[in-house]
Amino acid sequence: MMVGAFYNPHLGAELAAARNIDHLAMADPPAAGDRHWPAIKQRYTLLLHDYLGQLSEPLDDRAIERARSLAGLYDSPWVAEHFQCLHTEDGTYNLNYVFPPLYTEEFLARFVTNANALKARLDQPLVMENIPGFFDVHASQMPEPVWLRRFFDATGTGFLLDLPHVWLEAHYRGLTPQAWLAEFPLEHVVEVHVAGVEQDRDLEGPWIAPTAPSDAMLDFMAHALTRCPATRAVTFDAFSPSLTADVLFSSVDRIRAAL
Amino acid sequence: MNDRALQDDVIRALADAPYRASAEWRGRGLVDAGKVERFARFLARHFYHERIVHFFKYSRALARVTARWPEAVLRQPGFDALLATAVLGERATAHAVARLVTAYVAGEEVPYHKDLLRYQEAMMVVEAGPRVWRDTGRDDDRPAVVPPPPPPPPPPELVEGTELLELEYDLPTVLPQLLQPWTTPPEAPRRATRLIVARSRHGRVAVARASDAIASVVRFADGARTVDDLARAAGLRPGEIAATLRDLTEIGAVRFSTGS
Repeated sequence: MMVGAFYNPHLGAELAAARNIDHLAMADPPAAGDRHWPAIKQRYTLLLHDYLGQLSEPLDDRAIERARSLAGLYDSPWVAEHFQCLHTEDGTYNLNYVFPPLYTEEFLARFVTNANALKARLDQPLVMENIPGFFDVHASQMPEPVWLRRFFDATGTGFLLDLPHVWLEAHYRGLTPQAWLAEFPLEHVVEVHVAGVEQDRDLEGPWIAPTAPSDAMLDFMAHALTRCPATRAVTFDAFSPSLTADVLFSSVDRIRAAL
Repeated sequence: MNDRALQDDVIRALADAPYRASAEWRGRGLVDAGKVERFARFLARHFYHERIVHFFKYSRALARVTARWPEAVLRQPGFDALLATAVLGERATAHAVARLVTAYVAGEEVPYHKDLLRYQEAMMVVEAGPRVWRDTGRDDDRPAVVPPPPPPPPPPELVEGTELLELEYDLPTVLPQLLQPWTTPPEAPRRATRLIVARSRHGRVAVARASDAIASVVRFADGARTVDDLARAAGLRPGEIAATLRDLTEIGAVRFSTGS
């Protein structure tokens, strides 16, 4: 099992010299002037975790070529995308933040078709990450876990299970994280994300933050991994200029200790 | 309304505060209005945090001496007051947020500060507006038979939002230095400098020094003048107008009108 983090370029020097990290997920391509990039590329297994596009629509050739190029640059063992639909079809409105689709038959068909098309153009397996909903839209036709199971069964893609996303949804639904997690198709999980949560003033409740995972979150991770037999990597999911080296390295150490 | 259109409606409600408050949206009864309002405010703060940190990075570098971090405005009453009318990504909202930032970080610590704020504000405002997220390929369609001779080029027009900046200092010489380590802020030569800031249809913002030829074309490219008319109005020879239009098209400042 690999244990890793996200590549945070402002911590490039520390990451290039680190010894307790197996892999780095890449949220952005390396900047042209990043002097640590050659060492990072040589030292780590790199996972492509960029914004490739939203699979409610087919990715265009430009987006697919970009994905192929980045996956080749990183020699990534798999390519990640999110279950998201964050901008309107005409491009007028854009949330600039991950936002889930309606869990309906129509969106399922769209995501299945477009994920299969993307898969066919990639040289690496595709994995898809769950996205938390802060509120329900009454037009959804099925629970998220059912929608995800049908998606994975129809596409054969891997599941990138974001545990804080499950934890938050459980919190806002008044469920235990373990009970909500049990609904998800865990047999498809390839990679697990772990992160911290903090109180947010606007949401008046917890949300994902670039902080260390709590002991409760690590216990939840240990519980989840007993139910995800195909997991190959656990990633500390924090990517922010405000993230400190201490938080990143201590979080990875604590994740490793909790496995 | 199909599900994709319904999703667009939810996205719009989250991005567009006046729409979110409208009877049209509220009448749909799709969501818990209180939760949507909270999430929309969270999204707005995130949306402009990313843009302020990116476009005002030079003011962030100067915060070592000013102690005024641009993103601090996101926790001030002025930004909270904007939330009731904010439309994420809209040019007017970008302008309003950028004005809050410039009012907060303005100061006399470096002589070129005023120019720097105008530059950063222009970058943030030019970036705003709808963008093309995916190409449909229709523009690349090729006929299967030998095409007829090409028609004369349609009239060029300035892309909305493109901005010409007249500065008192030569900012491009100092911007990279500001992001490097320094103990006293680097100096900029006091030299009149003209820059053009534009955005591609995919949302990439570009900035370039603007020659007299570029400034003339920007002034006269109204979508009505033909290329020949534009060359005459701007006082450019055929080779100059072609090269200038090519440069402006590449950075997204000019497009060729296809309307009647």
